[in-house]
Parts: sequence; C-alpha cells; structure tokens
Amino acid sequence: MTMTSGEAIALALGSNRSLHWRNPTVTTVLMLTLDHLTKRYGTLTALDDISLTIKPGEFFGLLGPNGAGKSTLMSLVAGLRAPEAGRITLNGKPLSVAEASSRAGLGLVPQSVALYPELSADQNLRIFGELYGLHGTLLKTRIDEALVAVQLADRRHDQVKTFSGGMQRRLNLVAALLHRPKLLLCDEPTVGIDPQSRNAIFDFLEARAREGLTVIYSTHYMEEATRLCSRIAIIDHGRILALGTLDELLAQLPFEEEIRFPAREETLALAAQLPAWGEFITADGVHRFRPRADCKLSEFFALTESLGLPPRLFTSQRPTLEALFLHLTGRNLRE
Amino acid sequence: MRIILTLLRKDFSHVLRDKAALSLTFIVPLVLIYVFGQIFGANRTDSGPTGIPLAVVNASGNPAAAQLVDALKAEKSFRVLTKYVNSDQTERPLTEADLRPMMRGNDFRFALVIPADLVRETEFGLHLKILSNPRNEVETQLINGLLQKTIFSNVPQLLGQSLQAQARRYIGASRLEKFNRSMAENVARNFGGDPERIFSDIQKGQWNLGSSVGSAGGGTTDFFSRVVRIEQEQVIGKEVKSPMATRSVGGWAMQFLLFALTASAASLFYEKQQGLFQRLLSSPVTRAHILWSKFLYGVCLGLVQLVVLFVAGRFMFGIEVEHHLGLLVLVCGFAAAACTSFGMLLAAISPSPEAARGLGTMLILTMSAIGGAWFPISIMPELMQHLSKLTLVYWSMEGFQQVLWANATLGELCPTLGILAAMTAATMALALWCFNRGKLFD
Repeated sequence: MTMTSGEAIALALGSNRSLHWRNPTVTTVLMLTLDHLTKRYGTLTALDDISLTIKPGEFFGLLGPNGAGKSTLMSLVAGLRAPEAGRITLNGKPLSVAEASSRAGLGLVPQSVALYPELSADQNLRIFGELYGLHGTLLKTRIDEALVAVQLADRRHDQVKTFSGGMQRRLNLVAALLHRPKLLLCDEPTVGIDPQSRNAIFDFLEARAREGLTVIYSTHYMEEATRLCSRIAIIDHGRILALGTLDELLAQLPFEEEIRFPAREETLALAAQLPAWGEFITADGVHRFRPRADCKLSEFFALTESLGLPPRLFTSQRPTLEALFLHLTGRNLRE
Repeated sequence: MRIILTLLRKDFSHVLRDKAALSLTFIVPLVLIYVFGQIFGANRTDSGPTGIPLAVVNASGNPAAAQLVDALKAEKSFRVLTKYVNSDQTERPLTEADLRPMMRGNDFRFALVIPADLVRETEFGLHLKILSNPRNEVETQLINGLLQKTIFSNVPQLLGQSLQAQARRYIGASRLEKFNRSMAENVARNFGGDPERIFSDIQKGQWNLGSSVGSAGGGTTDFFSRVVRIEQEQVIGKEVKSPMATRSVGGWAMQFLLFALTASAASLFYEKQQGLFQRLLSSPVTRAHILWSKFLYGVCLGLVQLVVLFVAGRFMFGIEVEHHLGLLVLVCGFAAAACTSFGMLLAAISPSPEAARGLGTMLILTMSAIGGAWFPISIMPELMQHLSKLTLVYWSMEGFQQVLWANATLGELCPTLGILAAMTAATMALALWCFNRGKLFD
C-alpha cells in the first residue's frame, strides 16, 4: 500500500497522462476495496459479506444470473446506496453516499439507457459533461471524440429516441466516459442489442482498458466475461462463489475438454491409440475423446500430424464458465 | 361471443390491478361529490350562505336603525362587523371613514352605512348606503339581494316614522297628534285593542307592516325599492375595464398551472424509470440538486405559463395587465412556486406516476373548488370558508385579484406573498422529507 503523493494527486485528478499505475511501485495500491459488504432489502439479503479488491487497470467481471446481486454491488460502488455493513474504499478513501465529490472519479453505465430521449446526442453529452465540471472547448473536444469513437458523429444533432437500440447503448456508454473516469462501472451494458453493436462496445471498452481504464463489468453472458475480463467473480444469491482469472476459474472444473473427429478409415489408427490417453467413445459416426488431466494436448496433436491427419478434421470444446456455474450451483447461468 | 368475453375479462382484470384507474373511476368522483356537497351545504337543514362579513356603520340615533342592525346580525348569512379594533386592542364603533381602507385590506367586501339622516324631514323615504368591492359577480348579486331582503323586512317602521316626520312638517305637531288619536280610536273601535297603545304605535311610526312584506310579492318590493333609496358605491375595481374576465382569470390560470406543474413534478418518476437518477447520482450530483433543479424548473415553467395566460387574456378579453406587469409577474412567481411545491409533494408521496396523476386530479379539483376558483367562497358554509384559506389556490387568486382588481401596491401585496412563500416553504420541506424517506431514488 505505497503511493507517492504525486501519484495520489494524479489519480484523484483523473488525468490520463498521469496514470502511473503500470509503475510496479503503484500496482500495489488498491484502487477499489470492498470489505465485508452486506446489503439487505427488507428480509432479502442482496449482498452477503462480499469482500473484493480490484486493482488499477483491471477489467473485472461480475458474472451471475439475474437477481444474483450484481446491480446491487454496482450501485454500492457507484455510491447510489449505502451498505448495511462493511465499507468501500476508492483509492484508499472511504466512498460515501453523501459525499458527491468522492464519486468524481467514477463513471457508471447503467443497465437501462439512461439518456434524455427527447434531446439530441450532443445535448445529452453536453449535460452529462457539464455535471462533471467540463465546459467550453474541452467539453466540445470530448464530445466530438466520444461521438466519433462510437460512430455517432453524423447523428449528433438527432434526438436520441430516433436511435436504434445499439446506437443508444453506445451513446449510453460514452456518456459515462466524458470526464475520463479512473473507474468505469458497466452494469450489463449490452442487454438487448444486436451482435454488431455488442462487438462495437466490446472493441471500444477493450481499447479504453488498454489505455489504463479500470472496468467493473457485470453480465450474465459468460461469453462477454470470457472475452473481456482479466478477472471474474461468479456471484449468486449475494455471495461470491468463485473468483479469479478465467484459467483459474476453469481449473476448478474436472477436465472436460472433448475432441471430436469423424469415424473414418483414415482415423482408425489414431482411434486405436487414444483409449490409453483418456476416455474414448464412438457414436453416430463420431469419435469423442476426453483426455485425462495428465494428458498433454501437444502430444495428441503431434500424433495426428504424424498420422497425416489434417487439423480440419478435429473440433474441440473447451470447458466454459457456464459449466463452472453449473458445477458450483447445480443451476444453469441463465435460469 | 367468447372472444368478446375474454377481452372483457382482460379489461376488468387490468383495471382491477390499476389502482390509479380505480381511484380516478371511483374515489375521485366520490370525494368531489362530497366536497361539492359540503360547499353547497347539502347536509344542512337550512339553506343559503352563512357568515359573509358585512361591516355596518350606524350613524343614526334612530332606535329603528338599531333594530335594522340587530336584524342584520340575526341574519345567518351575515357576520356583522360594527367595531373597529385599534392597535392597542381597544374597540370603537366603525365609522364610514374606516370602511374604504378596510375594504382595500380585504377585511370585508360589503358594508352598509346607515346615515345620521336616515329619515329626512324634507323628503319621504329612507336613505342608506352600500359600499362594495364586487370581486365576484355571483357573490355581489347574492349579497345585494340578501341586504335588500333584510332592509325591506325592517323598513315599514322606518317608513312610518318618515311619514310621521313629513306630516309633522306639513300640518304641524298638534294637528298630527289629533289626526293620529282619531285614527287610533277608529282602529280600536272597529278592530279592537287599546286606543292609547295604538295611538302610541302610530306616533312612533310602528304600523306592523313588516310581517306582510314577505308575502306581499314583487309589488311590495317594488314599492320599497322606490321609497328606500340605497346609494351604491363601488369602492374597488371601478376603473377595471373588463371586470368579468379580470375577476375570473386567476381561477382559470391556477387550475392550468396546477395540472401543468403536477405533471412536471411527476416527470421525476419517468426519469427514475429511465435510469437517469442512477447516472446522475453516480456523478457529483446529489438528490438535493435534482429536487431543487426540478423545483426551479417548475417555477420558471409556471411563471412563463401564467404570464402567457394573462397576456393572452389582455388580447382576448381586454384584461389590463400592462399597468400591473411588475407586481403581476411577482404574484405569478410566488403562485408558481407554491404550485410547484405542491406538485413535488405529490410526487414525493405517490408510489407511481399513475397514483400521482389520480391523487393530483382529486386534490387539484378539490382545491380549486374550495379555494374559490369555480364559485365564490362566500356561498360556502363557514367551515369551508375557513378551509379555503388553507389552499394555495385561494391565496394565489387573492394575489391576482389584489393586483388586477384592487390595483394594490407592493406593500399591500406583501402579506399575501408572505403566505404563499410560507406555504411553499412548508410544502417543499415536507416534500424533501418524504423524498428522503421514499423510494424514488432507490
């Protein structure tokens, strides 16, 4: 927990130029700490003793089904609600619901499209920018950059209500970034949009993350968490069930990779050797091979190469977070 | 047919789940019917207005004038004021000089002056003076009618005295006494009674005609209206060029304003549903910022709406706004603030926009009715008249009337503005408290 005063000021001021978190001496600084957080709504415990540490520059995923507590956790971090127990610190300072200035370094992309539909894209961004103290040329520049980044520059003067769902989602995203926050909270920002817009949002977020933005991204799509997040917390019924990188999480599963290839004459030699390496099944004209944990896949593929089998014959299915969630809870992620 | 029944069941299921629709369908009409019933005194066994303030100055020493004052006091429609309360809380009888300033201060809108020469020796008949501030046409007609009824019911004795005075002047006291005695004896002889008592009554002008007035019909009333000369003086609003529109415009404006500003405050719900509060509150914006900006927006909107309505009234109905523009804008601002705070409170206590709409409709119509936007409060029972003074509609209309009708100065307007400001502050404080305890920002 060391940080020079200059670095602390740089973080507080939110200048991208001053982001020194890649410096090894600063990576030990905890950007966001959730310490034994509990939140209840009446008799329902939405969050139950959650503790987390999110480091600067992380792309942190919160993966869980609807009602798991992801949005509640987001709202606590965003300062929208106060926990019944526990505390949140941002850059070492307690985050207070009452203290608006403590939220200046945050950006929130709400689950709904939180824009004024009757106003134009430009007017919306102007309002949200001004609320963070931006004005004049700086604000105009930021708006221009934001609209170009999400490919809405040519629609800047159109009413938001005339936008497609995907366009609204993109605008919803950049509205939270005008003030260049240190920490971006994305609460299921791609709900209900087309794959093309979703990919555009992913690309945009990945680019910002490469620039050093810390992101907490909640989703119930494992594909999103898998693609975007450097670390993931699987959350259900207000508790964190598993936490780690994708590999760390998948390592909690028994090895379930399955390699499939057609049952033909050319693959007979290969098929004859595989039962010694793991589980081997043939059904409906397809061989299914599930290697043991100690089996090295590199050796398997060396063998196929030596037998002259082209790679196009083989398909493999990796274990997924969906499978992990099922393993941990006995339920599917989207139930 | 089955399809129609299915769709019918769908509609009933829908309405039963929609509390706002249910309240608009049943509760609002029932409440309004009850309120109107109370306004018009539907549960009272008697009828007519009660407790209308009426100042009476009795400058006549005539005992019959005192009887007229007593008769007015006995009339339930009036609350007769005869005393002036000094600053040291001592009282003295009202004088005619007191009336006009007090009418400007809206202590009362009608006054009856019984002059010292109520019964003049030089001419037959009576002389009375009515001072009025006819801010409301219906109220003015009603009160003039009630006053005339009460005066005419008590006028015969005074007319008898007037006749005696005239006769005394023309034929002399001794001849009149002889004539009266002869008449008394004839009456006693033909109809019975004590001739001395009858003589005494005739001398005092007591002919007991009063009892016949009520059943005498229009002819008697016409007769009295010729012999009772009532001088009318309009103390306030004489110079108003478009009295009907000037008197009504405040009430119309207030209703539109209340509906508009309640809808504006209810937009808080839509902003919540839109997720905008999440975005705003995660930025350096507090709940107080949101609420106060909404309040200021409502005030500005209301102010502009009122000014536009009055300016439109200028061109459509000739309401003179240009001479009072400064003070009118001031009253509009205070009225808009009071209406906005009402809308904010409504949004704060309602669980949904639909509920706010239902409750708002009920409260706005009730306040408009009680506050005097539809009909004069003087025709309501006294309790309702007191309740009306708790409504912002009443005080806003009072402000408009003071400016447009009474040509009031800023100093005269200050108490009304102060009350509107106090109402705004109290309502906003309550609204903020409710917002902080409610779920709007959750």
